Amino acid sequence: MQTLSRSLIAALVLILFCSAAALAAPAPADKPAGLAQKPAPANMLLAYGDEDIWDENGQIIRKPAPGEKVSTSDAAAETPDPLEGWNRMWFGFNDKLYFWALKPVAQGYTYVLPERPRLWVHNFFHNLMFPVRFVSLMLQGKPDAAAVETSRFIGNTAFGLGGLADITADSKPFQPIPSTEQDLGLTFGYWGSGNGFYLVWPFIGPSSGRDTLGYAGDYFLTPASYINPWYWSAAAKGYDKVNEVSMRTGDYETLKEASVDPYEAVRDAYLRNRFKKMND
Amino acid sequence: MKKISFLFGVLLLTACFCTSAFAGEPQDRLKVGIDKVIAILSDPALKAASKRIERQNRLRTVADSFFDWRELSRRAAAEHWAKFSPKQQDDFIASFSELLQKTYIRKLEKYNNEKVAYLKEQTEGNQAFINTQVAMKDKTIPINYVMIKRDQWLVYDVVVEGVSLVKNYRTQFAKILTKDSPESLIQRIKDKIKSLDDGKNVDDVVGKEG
Repeated sequence: MQTLSRSLIAALVLILFCSAAALAAPAPADKPAGLAQKPAPANMLLAYGDEDIWDENGQIIRKPAPGEKVSTSDAAAETPDPLEGWNRMWFGFNDKLYFWALKPVAQGYTYVLPERPRLWVHNFFHNLMFPVRFVSLMLQGKPDAAAVETSRFIGNTAFGLGGLADITADSKPFQPIPSTEQDLGLTFGYWGSGNGFYLVWPFIGPSSGRDTLGYAGDYFLTPASYINPWYWSAAAKGYDKVNEVSMRTGDYETLKEASVDPYEAVRDAYLRNRFKKMND
Repeated sequence: MKKISFLFGVLLLTACFCTSAFAGEPQDRLKVGIDKVIAILSDPALKAASKRIERQNRLRTVADSFFDWRELSRRAAAEHWAKFSPKQQDDFIASFSELLQKTYIRKLEKYNNEKVAYLKEQTEGNQAFINTQVAMKDKTIPINYVMIKRDQWLVYDVVVEGVSLVKNYRTQFAKILTKDSPESLIQRIKDKIKSLDDGKNVDDVVGKEG
Protein backbone atom coordinates (compact mmCIF):
# COMPACT_ATOMS: atom_id res chain seq x y z
CA MET A 1 0.00 0.00 0.00
CA GLN A 2 2.82 2.31 0.90
CA THR A 3 4.64 1.69 -2.37
CA LEU A 4 1.40 2.35 -4.19
CA SER A 5 0.79 5.70 -2.55
CA ARG A 6 4.41 6.67 -2.92
CA SER A 7 4.48 5.90 -6.61
CA LEU A 8 1.14 7.62 -7.04
CA ILE A 9 2.48 10.78 -5.41
CA ALA A 10 5.61 10.58 -7.53
CA ALA A 11 3.49 10.22 -10.66
CA LEU A 12 1.30 13.15 -9.65
CA VAL A 13 4.29 15.39 -9.02
CA LEU A 14 5.75 14.43 -12.37
CA ILE A 15 2.44 15.09 -14.11
CA LEU A 16 1.95 18.48 -12.47
CA PHE A 17 5.50 19.50 -13.26
CA CYS A 18 5.21 18.43 -16.88
CA SER A 19 1.82 20.01 -17.39
CA ALA A 20 3.10 23.25 -15.91
CA ALA A 21 5.97 23.03 -18.36
CA ALA A 22 3.50 22.33 -21.14
CA LEU A 23 1.29 25.25 -20.26
CA ALA A 24 4.27 27.53 -19.88
CA ALA A 25 5.52 26.58 -23.33
CA PRO A 26 4.79 29.23 -25.93
CA ALA A 27 1.75 28.69 -28.11
CA PRO A 28 2.85 26.52 -31.00
CA ALA A 29 3.07 28.16 -34.38
CA ASP A 30 2.69 26.09 -37.51
CA LYS A 31 5.19 23.57 -36.30
CA PRO A 32 5.58 23.07 -32.58
CA ALA A 33 9.20 23.31 -31.57
CA GLY A 34 8.91 19.86 -30.12
CA LEU A 35 11.40 17.23 -29.21
CA ALA A 36 10.82 15.05 -32.20
CA GLN A 37 10.11 16.19 -35.70
CA LYS A 38 8.30 13.83 -37.97
CA PRO A 39 9.50 13.63 -41.61
CA ALA A 40 6.50 15.48 -43.24
CA PRO A 41 3.30 13.58 -42.86
CA ALA A 42 1.09 12.56 -45.73
CA ASN A 43 3.86 11.63 -48.09
CA MET A 44 2.20 8.73 -49.66
CA LEU A 45 3.69 6.35 -52.09
CA LEU A 46 1.70 5.50 -55.15
CA ALA A 47 0.71 1.91 -55.01
CA TYR A 48 -0.79 -0.45 -57.51
CA GLY A 49 -0.16 1.37 -60.76
CA ASP A 50 -1.24 4.93 -59.97
CA GLU A 51 -4.74 3.71 -59.30
CA ASP A 52 -5.45 5.50 -56.07
CA ILE A 53 -5.84 9.27 -55.91
CA TRP A 54 -6.31 9.48 -52.15
CA ASP A 55 -4.91 7.63 -49.19
CA GLU A 56 -7.14 6.26 -46.44
CA ASN A 57 -7.70 9.67 -44.87
CA GLY A 58 -8.44 11.53 -48.06
CA GLN A 59 -4.98 13.05 -48.49
CA ILE A 60 -4.01 13.35 -52.12
CA ILE A 61 -1.25 10.89 -52.89
CA ARG A 62 1.84 12.30 -54.51
CA LYS A 63 5.00 10.69 -55.71
CA PRO A 64 7.92 11.14 -53.33
CA ALA A 65 10.83 13.26 -54.50
CA PRO A 66 14.08 11.31 -54.99
CA GLY A 67 15.62 10.44 -51.66
CA GLU A 68 12.52 11.52 -49.78
CA LYS A 69 11.43 9.34 -46.93
CA VAL A 70 7.88 8.18 -47.33
CA SER A 71 5.60 6.37 -45.03
CA THR A 72 2.46 4.70 -46.22
CA SER A 73 -0.10 2.41 -44.75
CA ASP A 74 0.83 -0.01 -47.54
CA ALA A 75 4.39 -0.07 -46.28
CA ALA A 76 3.09 -0.62 -42.74
CA ALA A 77 0.87 -3.44 -43.95
CA GLU A 78 3.89 -5.10 -45.53
CA THR A 79 5.55 -5.53 -42.15
CA PRO A 80 7.29 -8.91 -42.32
CA ASP A 81 5.78 -11.85 -40.55
CA PRO A 82 8.67 -14.28 -40.02
CA LEU A 83 6.93 -16.08 -37.17
CA GLU A 84 3.75 -16.74 -39.09
CA GLY A 85 3.23 -20.30 -37.87
CA TRP A 86 3.78 -19.27 -34.26
CA ASN A 87 1.55 -16.21 -34.69
CA ARG A 88 -1.20 -18.25 -36.30
CA MET A 89 -1.14 -20.60 -33.34
CA TRP A 90 -1.66 -17.75 -30.86
CA PHE A 91 -4.23 -16.20 -33.16
CA GLY A 92 -6.19 -19.43 -32.91
CA PHE A 93 -5.73 -19.45 -29.14
CA ASN A 94 -7.01 -15.87 -28.81
CA ASP A 95 -9.91 -16.65 -31.11
CA LYS A 96 -11.00 -19.51 -28.87
CA LEU A 97 -10.38 -17.40 -25.78
CA TYR A 98 -12.71 -14.78 -27.23
CA PHE A 99 -15.52 -17.10 -28.23
CA TRP A 100 -15.34 -19.47 -25.27
CA ALA A 101 -14.53 -17.13 -22.42
CA LEU A 102 -14.45 -13.42 -23.09
CA LYS A 103 -17.57 -13.14 -25.20
CA PRO A 104 -19.90 -15.25 -23.01
CA VAL A 105 -18.72 -13.34 -19.94
CA ALA A 106 -19.21 -10.01 -21.72
CA GLN A 107 -22.67 -11.07 -22.88
CA GLY A 108 -23.71 -12.06 -19.37
CA TYR A 109 -22.31 -8.78 -18.11
CA THR A 110 -24.23 -6.88 -20.80
CA TYR A 111 -27.39 -8.68 -19.73
CA VAL A 112 -26.91 -7.62 -16.11
CA LEU A 113 -25.63 -4.09 -16.63
CA PRO A 114 -27.31 -1.60 -18.98
CA GLU A 115 -25.29 0.40 -21.48
CA ARG A 116 -25.09 3.62 -19.53
CA PRO A 117 -23.23 2.29 -16.47
CA ARG A 118 -20.95 0.38 -18.82
CA LEU A 119 -20.16 3.67 -20.48
CA TRP A 120 -19.26 5.08 -17.07
CA VAL A 121 -16.89 2.17 -16.50
CA HIS A 122 -15.38 2.81 -19.92
CA ASN A 123 -14.91 6.49 -19.06
CA PHE A 124 -13.36 5.62 -15.73
CA PHE A 125 -10.72 3.31 -17.20
CA HIS A 126 -10.07 5.65 -20.10
CA ASN A 127 -9.53 8.53 -17.69
CA LEU A 128 -7.23 6.36 -15.60
CA MET A 129 -5.00 5.70 -18.60
CA PHE A 130 -4.16 9.40 -18.72
CA PRO A 131 -0.43 8.92 -17.84
CA VAL A 132 0.11 6.78 -20.96
CA ARG A 133 -1.42 9.42 -23.23
CA PHE A 134 0.26 12.32 -21.47
CA VAL A 135 3.77 10.90 -21.50
CA SER A 136 3.38 9.77 -25.13
CA LEU A 137 2.18 13.19 -26.26
CA MET A 138 5.04 14.91 -24.44
CA LEU A 139 7.56 12.52 -25.98
CA GLN A 140 6.05 13.25 -29.38
CA GLY A 141 6.60 16.96 -28.81
CA LYS A 142 2.92 17.87 -28.74
CA PRO A 143 2.68 20.00 -25.58
CA ASP A 144 -0.59 21.58 -26.72
CA ALA A 145 -2.33 18.21 -26.98
CA ALA A 146 -0.74 17.08 -23.70
CA ALA A 147 -2.02 20.22 -21.97
CA VAL A 148 -5.55 19.66 -23.29
CA GLU A 149 -5.38 16.04 -22.17
CA THR A 150 -4.26 17.18 -18.72
CA SER A 151 -7.14 19.59 -18.33
CA ARG A 152 -9.53 16.88 -19.44
CA PHE A 153 -8.07 14.54 -16.83
CA ILE A 154 -8.33 17.13 -14.07
CA GLY A 155 -11.84 18.14 -15.12
CA ASN A 156 -13.15 14.59 -15.39
CA THR A 157 -11.49 13.44 -12.18
CA ALA A 158 -12.54 16.41 -10.06
CA PHE A 159 -15.97 17.18 -11.46
CA GLY A 160 -16.88 13.96 -13.24
CA LEU A 161 -17.06 11.74 -10.17
CA GLY A 162 -13.50 10.48 -10.46
CA GLY A 163 -13.74 9.99 -14.19
CA LEU A 164 -17.04 8.12 -14.38
CA ALA A 165 -18.54 10.94 -16.41
CA ASP A 166 -16.78 12.31 -19.45
CA ILE A 167 -17.84 15.89 -18.82
CA THR A 168 -15.11 17.37 -21.01
CA ALA A 169 -16.10 15.41 -24.13
CA ASP A 170 -18.01 18.33 -25.62
CA SER A 171 -15.50 21.05 -24.85
CA LYS A 172 -13.30 21.51 -27.87
CA PRO A 173 -9.94 23.24 -27.60
CA PHE A 174 -9.67 26.67 -29.27
CA GLN A 175 -7.07 25.47 -31.69
CA PRO A 176 -7.40 22.03 -33.23
CA ILE A 177 -4.98 19.59 -31.65
CA PRO A 178 -3.67 16.26 -32.87
CA SER A 179 -5.38 13.11 -31.59
CA THR A 180 -4.66 12.45 -27.94
CA GLU A 181 -5.20 8.70 -28.24
CA GLN A 182 -1.50 7.86 -28.18
CA ASP A 183 0.68 5.27 -26.52
CA LEU A 184 4.38 4.50 -26.43
CA GLY A 185 4.30 2.12 -29.40
CA LEU A 186 2.81 4.90 -31.52
CA THR A 187 5.38 7.30 -30.10
CA PHE A 188 8.25 5.10 -31.28
CA GLY A 189 6.56 4.98 -34.66
CA TYR A 190 6.20 8.76 -34.66
CA TRP A 191 9.92 9.01 -34.05
CA GLY A 192 10.44 7.02 -37.20
CA SER A 193 10.72 3.46 -35.94
CA GLY A 194 9.21 0.79 -38.16
CA ASN A 195 7.05 -2.03 -36.91
CA GLY A 196 9.93 -4.48 -37.03
CA PHE A 197 7.88 -7.62 -37.42
CA TYR A 198 4.34 -8.70 -36.76
CA LEU A 199 3.73 -10.56 -33.54
CA VAL A 200 0.65 -12.06 -31.90
CA TRP A 201 0.64 -12.34 -28.13
CA PRO A 202 -1.63 -14.64 -26.16
CA PHE A 203 -4.31 -12.63 -24.28
CA ILE A 204 -3.02 -9.29 -25.64
CA GLY A 205 -3.62 -9.99 -29.32
CA PRO A 206 -1.99 -8.56 -32.45
CA SER A 207 1.18 -6.54 -31.90
CA SER A 208 4.55 -5.90 -33.47
CA GLY A 209 8.15 -5.75 -32.32
CA ARG A 210 7.84 -2.00 -31.84
CA ASP A 211 4.44 -2.12 -30.18
CA THR A 212 5.60 -4.86 -27.82
CA LEU A 213 8.31 -2.55 -26.48
CA GLY A 214 5.73 0.22 -26.26
CA TYR A 215 3.33 -2.07 -24.45
CA ALA A 216 5.98 -2.95 -21.89
CA GLY A 217 6.56 0.76 -21.29
CA ASP A 218 2.84 1.46 -21.11
CA TYR A 219 2.58 -1.17 -18.39
CA PHE A 220 4.55 1.04 -16.04
CA LEU A 221 2.41 4.06 -16.89
CA THR A 222 -0.84 2.21 -16.24
CA PRO A 223 -2.07 2.92 -12.71
CA ALA A 224 -3.84 -0.44 -12.55
CA SER A 225 -0.42 -2.14 -12.78
CA TYR A 226 0.44 -0.80 -9.32
CA ILE A 227 -2.47 -2.39 -7.48
CA ASN A 228 -1.29 -4.83 -4.84
CA PRO A 229 -1.51 -7.84 -4.72
CA TRP A 230 -1.03 -8.75 -8.36
CA TYR A 231 -4.30 -10.63 -8.76
CA TRP A 232 -6.31 -7.52 -7.97
CA SER A 233 -4.31 -5.71 -10.59
CA ALA A 234 -5.04 -8.48 -13.09
CA ALA A 235 -8.71 -8.45 -12.07
CA ALA A 236 -8.98 -4.71 -12.68
CA LYS A 237 -7.43 -5.05 -16.12
CA GLY A 238 -9.57 -8.08 -16.91
CA TYR A 239 -12.69 -6.19 -15.92
CA ASP A 240 -11.69 -3.29 -18.16
CA LYS A 241 -11.24 -5.76 -21.01
CA VAL A 242 -14.64 -7.39 -20.46
CA ASN A 243 -16.28 -3.99 -20.35
CA GLU A 244 -14.60 -2.98 -23.62
CA VAL A 245 -15.67 -6.21 -25.28
CA SER A 246 -19.24 -5.63 -24.09
CA MET A 247 -19.25 -2.33 -25.98
CA ARG A 248 -17.75 -3.87 -29.11
CA THR A 249 -19.38 -7.28 -29.39
CA GLY A 250 -19.81 -8.17 -33.03
CA ASP A 251 -16.93 -6.23 -34.57
CA TYR A 252 -14.47 -9.10 -34.48
CA GLU A 253 -17.15 -11.53 -35.61
CA THR A 254 -17.94 -9.47 -38.70
CA LEU A 255 -14.29 -9.13 -39.66
CA LYS A 256 -13.77 -12.83 -39.15
CA GLU A 257 -16.84 -13.90 -41.09
CA ALA A 258 -16.33 -11.52 -43.97
CA SER A 259 -12.73 -12.51 -44.54
CA VAL A 260 -11.33 -15.34 -46.58
CA ASP A 261 -8.29 -15.59 -44.34
CA PRO A 262 -9.16 -14.15 -40.90
CA TYR A 263 -5.56 -14.15 -39.74
CA GLU A 264 -4.44 -12.00 -42.66
CA ALA A 265 -7.49 -9.76 -42.34
CA VAL A 266 -6.78 -9.04 -38.67
CA ARG A 267 -3.08 -8.53 -39.34
CA ASP A 268 -3.77 -6.03 -42.14
CA ALA A 269 -6.44 -4.22 -40.13
CA TYR A 270 -4.17 -3.97 -37.08
CA LEU A 271 -1.18 -2.60 -38.97
CA ARG A 272 -3.20 -0.08 -40.98
CA ASN A 273 -5.21 1.06 -37.98
CA ARG A 274 -2.02 1.62 -35.99
CA PHE A 275 -0.57 3.56 -38.91
CA LYS A 276 -3.60 5.82 -38.98
CA LYS A 277 -3.49 6.40 -35.21
CA MET A 278 0.17 7.28 -35.45
CA ASN A 279 -0.55 9.98 -38.02
CA ASP A 280 -3.70 11.37 -36.39
CA MET B 1 -24.51 53.07 -51.97
CA LYS B 2 -26.97 51.43 -49.67
CA LYS B 3 -28.51 49.59 -52.57
CA ILE B 4 -25.21 48.27 -53.70
CA SER B 5 -24.30 46.96 -50.29
CA PHE B 6 -27.76 45.42 -50.03
CA LEU B 7 -27.28 43.71 -53.37
CA PHE B 8 -23.86 42.58 -52.31
CA GLY B 9 -25.33 41.13 -49.13
CA VAL B 10 -27.97 39.25 -51.08
CA LEU B 11 -25.33 37.90 -53.41
CA LEU B 12 -23.20 36.74 -50.50
CA LEU B 13 -26.17 35.06 -48.86
CA THR B 14 -27.06 33.27 -52.07
CA ALA B 15 -23.50 32.11 -52.42
CA CYS B 16 -23.56 30.76 -48.88
CA PHE B 17 -26.81 28.94 -49.45
CA CYS B 18 -25.60 27.46 -52.68
CA THR B 19 -22.52 25.92 -51.16
CA SER B 20 -24.41 24.45 -48.24
CA ALA B 21 -27.41 23.22 -50.19
CA PHE B 22 -25.53 21.66 -53.07
CA ALA B 23 -22.76 19.66 -51.52
CA GLY B 24 -21.67 18.27 -54.84
CA GLU B 25 -23.04 15.37 -56.76
CA PRO B 26 -21.11 12.46 -55.22
CA GLN B 27 -21.87 13.42 -51.64
CA ASP B 28 -25.55 14.00 -52.40
CA ARG B 29 -25.71 10.64 -54.02
CA LEU B 30 -23.96 8.97 -51.08
CA LYS B 31 -26.30 10.68 -48.67
CA VAL B 32 -29.33 9.41 -50.58
CA GLY B 33 -27.96 5.88 -50.28
CA ILE B 34 -27.14 6.12 -46.58
CA ASP B 35 -30.51 7.73 -45.84
CA LYS B 36 -32.24 4.90 -47.66
CA VAL B 37 -30.37 2.32 -45.61
CA ILE B 38 -31.20 4.15 -42.38
CA ALA B 39 -34.86 4.41 -43.40
CA ILE B 40 -35.03 0.66 -43.94
CA LEU B 41 -33.21 -0.07 -40.70
CA SER B 42 -35.43 2.19 -38.61
CA ASP B 43 -38.70 1.24 -40.31
CA PRO B 44 -40.79 -0.23 -37.48
CA ALA B 45 -42.81 -2.31 -39.95
CA LEU B 46 -39.65 -4.23 -40.88
CA LYS B 47 -38.36 -4.73 -37.34
CA ALA B 48 -40.23 -7.97 -36.67
CA ALA B 49 -38.20 -11.17 -36.84
CA SER B 50 -40.53 -12.53 -39.52
CA LYS B 51 -39.63 -9.61 -41.79
CA ARG B 52 -35.92 -10.18 -41.53
CA ILE B 53 -35.53 -11.71 -44.98
CA GLU B 54 -37.50 -8.92 -46.58
CA ARG B 55 -35.44 -6.31 -44.80
CA GLN B 56 -32.20 -7.96 -45.88
CA ASN B 57 -33.43 -8.10 -49.47
CA ARG B 58 -34.30 -4.44 -49.44
CA LEU B 59 -30.87 -3.55 -48.05
CA ARG B 60 -29.30 -5.63 -50.80
CA THR B 61 -31.22 -3.77 -53.48
CA VAL B 62 -29.97 -0.47 -52.10
CA ALA B 63 -26.40 -1.76 -51.83
CA ASP B 64 -26.48 -3.05 -55.41
CA SER B 65 -27.50 0.34 -56.75
CA PHE B 66 -24.84 2.21 -54.77
CA PHE B 67 -21.79 -0.04 -55.00
CA ASP B 68 -19.63 -0.67 -58.02
CA TRP B 69 -18.89 -4.33 -57.29
CA ARG B 70 -16.79 -4.73 -60.44
CA GLU B 71 -14.48 -1.86 -59.58
CA LEU B 72 -14.26 -3.02 -55.97
CA SER B 73 -13.41 -6.60 -56.96
CA ARG B 74 -10.93 -5.51 -59.61
CA ARG B 75 -9.06 -3.34 -57.16
CA ALA B 76 -9.11 -6.03 -54.48
CA ALA B 77 -7.58 -8.52 -56.92
CA ALA B 78 -5.10 -5.79 -57.98
CA GLU B 79 -2.31 -7.03 -60.24
CA HIS B 80 -3.72 -10.56 -60.23
CA TRP B 81 -6.90 -9.38 -61.99
CA ALA B 82 -5.33 -10.04 -65.39
CA LYS B 83 -5.02 -13.74 -64.48
CA PHE B 84 -8.80 -14.05 -64.30
CA SER B 85 -10.64 -15.11 -67.46
CA PRO B 86 -13.74 -12.98 -68.21
CA LYS B 87 -15.96 -15.74 -66.87
CA GLN B 88 -13.87 -16.07 -63.73
CA GLN B 89 -14.07 -12.31 -63.27
CA ASP B 90 -17.86 -12.40 -63.33
CA ASP B 91 -17.87 -15.39 -61.02
CA PHE B 92 -15.49 -13.68 -58.65
CA ILE B 93 -17.50 -10.45 -58.58
CA ALA B 94 -20.71 -12.36 -57.89
CA SER B 95 -19.35 -14.47 -55.04
CA PHE B 96 -17.23 -11.73 -53.47
CA SER B 97 -20.10 -9.24 -53.41
CA GLU B 98 -22.35 -11.95 -52.01
CA LEU B 99 -19.92 -12.55 -49.14
CA LEU B 100 -19.66 -8.83 -48.40
CA GLN B 101 -23.41 -8.29 -48.47
CA LYS B 102 -24.11 -11.31 -46.30
CA THR B 103 -21.75 -10.30 -43.56
CA TYR B 104 -22.05 -6.54 -43.55
CA ILE B 105 -25.84 -6.44 -43.79
CA ARG B 106 -25.92 -8.51 -40.61
CA LYS B 107 -23.64 -5.97 -39.04
CA LEU B 108 -25.90 -3.12 -40.15
CA GLU B 109 -28.83 -4.76 -38.42
CA LYS B 110 -27.34 -3.65 -35.13
CA TYR B 111 -27.98 -0.05 -36.14
CA ASN B 112 -29.15 1.94 -33.16
CA ASN B 113 -29.89 5.49 -34.34
CA GLU B 114 -26.25 6.45 -34.77
CA LYS B 115 -25.90 9.77 -36.56
CA VAL B 116 -23.82 10.24 -39.68
CA ALA B 117 -21.97 13.52 -40.21
CA TYR B 118 -20.59 14.46 -43.63
CA LEU B 119 -17.27 16.18 -43.09
CA LYS B 120 -15.52 16.73 -46.39
CA GLU B 121 -15.83 15.97 -50.06
CA GLN B 122 -13.15 15.95 -52.74
CA THR B 123 -13.66 15.31 -56.42
CA GLU B 124 -10.88 14.56 -58.87
CA GLY B 125 -11.90 13.68 -62.41
CA ASN B 126 -14.37 10.81 -62.23
CA GLN B 127 -13.51 9.89 -58.65
CA ALA B 128 -14.54 11.30 -55.31
CA PHE B 129 -13.48 10.90 -51.71
CA ILE B 130 -15.93 11.63 -48.92
CA ASN B 131 -15.08 11.80 -45.22
CA THR B 132 -17.90 10.99 -42.83
CA GLN B 133 -18.12 10.29 -39.14
CA VAL B 134 -20.51 8.07 -37.24
CA ALA B 135 -21.19 9.00 -33.62
CA MET B 136 -21.24 5.91 -31.41
CA LYS B 137 -21.97 5.89 -27.69
CA ASP B 138 -18.40 6.08 -26.49
CA LYS B 139 -16.57 7.45 -29.52
CA THR B 140 -16.89 8.66 -33.08
CA ILE B 141 -15.80 6.39 -35.90
CA PRO B 142 -14.43 7.90 -39.10
CA ILE B 143 -15.82 6.20 -42.19
CA ASN B 144 -14.60 7.35 -45.60
CA TYR B 145 -16.08 6.46 -48.98
CA VAL B 146 -14.30 6.41 -52.32
CA MET B 147 -16.63 6.77 -55.30
CA ILE B 148 -16.35 6.56 -59.06
CA LYS B 149 -18.60 8.05 -61.71
CA ARG B 150 -20.33 5.61 -64.03
CA ASP B 151 -23.88 6.44 -65.11
CA GLN B 152 -24.22 7.40 -61.48
CA TRP B 153 -21.71 7.90 -58.70
CA LEU B 154 -20.96 4.52 -57.15
CA VAL B 155 -18.98 3.56 -54.05
CA TYR B 156 -16.02 1.24 -54.62
CA ASP B 157 -14.18 1.43 -51.31
CA VAL B 158 -15.07 2.05 -47.68
CA VAL B 159 -12.38 3.02 -45.16
CA VAL B 160 -13.22 2.44 -41.50
CA GLU B 161 -10.76 3.81 -38.94
CA GLY B 162 -7.95 3.83 -41.45
CA VAL B 163 -8.62 0.30 -42.70
CA SER B 164 -9.61 0.19 -46.36
CA LEU B 165 -11.95 -2.64 -47.32
CA VAL B 166 -10.35 -3.03 -50.73
CA LYS B 167 -6.82 -3.03 -49.37
CA ASN B 168 -7.68 -5.44 -46.57
CA TYR B 169 -8.94 -7.95 -49.14
CA ARG B 170 -6.05 -7.15 -51.46
CA THR B 171 -3.69 -8.41 -48.75
CA GLN B 172 -5.68 -11.60 -48.28
CA PHE B 173 -6.20 -12.27 -51.98
CA ALA B 174 -2.59 -11.55 -52.92
CA LYS B 175 -1.44 -14.19 -50.48
CA ILE B 176 -3.81 -16.78 -51.92
CA LEU B 177 -3.32 -15.83 -55.58
CA THR B 178 0.46 -16.03 -55.48
CA LYS B 179 0.09 -19.70 -54.55
CA ASP B 180 -3.22 -20.76 -56.06
CA SER B 181 -5.30 -20.18 -59.17
CA PRO B 182 -8.18 -17.68 -59.39
CA GLU B 183 -10.50 -20.68 -59.57
CA SER B 184 -9.47 -21.91 -56.12
CA LEU B 185 -9.88 -18.42 -54.66
CA ILE B 186 -13.43 -18.27 -56.01
CA GLN B 187 -14.02 -21.71 -54.55
CA ARG B 188 -12.74 -20.55 -51.17
CA ILE B 189 -15.11 -17.60 -51.18
CA LYS B 190 -17.99 -19.88 -52.12
CA ASP B 191 -17.05 -22.32 -49.35
CA LYS B 192 -17.04 -19.45 -46.88
CA ILE B 193 -20.52 -18.35 -47.98
CA LYS B 194 -21.73 -21.90 -47.70
CA SER B 195 -20.37 -22.35 -44.19
CA LEU B 196 -22.03 -19.07 -43.19
CA ASP B 197 -25.32 -20.30 -44.64
CA ASP B 198 -24.99 -23.58 -42.80
CA GLY B 199 -24.54 -21.66 -39.60
CA LYS B 200 -21.09 -23.09 -39.09
CA ASN B 201 -18.59 -20.64 -37.73
CA VAL B 202 -21.37 -18.12 -37.31
CA ASP B 203 -21.46 -16.77 -33.84
CA ASP B 204 -24.85 -15.11 -33.90
CA VAL B 205 -23.65 -11.68 -34.92
CA VAL B 206 -27.09 -10.13 -34.73
CA GLY B 207 -27.06 -10.82 -31.02
CA LYS B 208 -29.84 -11.90 -28.76
CA GLU B 209 -30.89 -8.39 -27.85
CA GLY B 210 -31.33 -7.27 -31.47
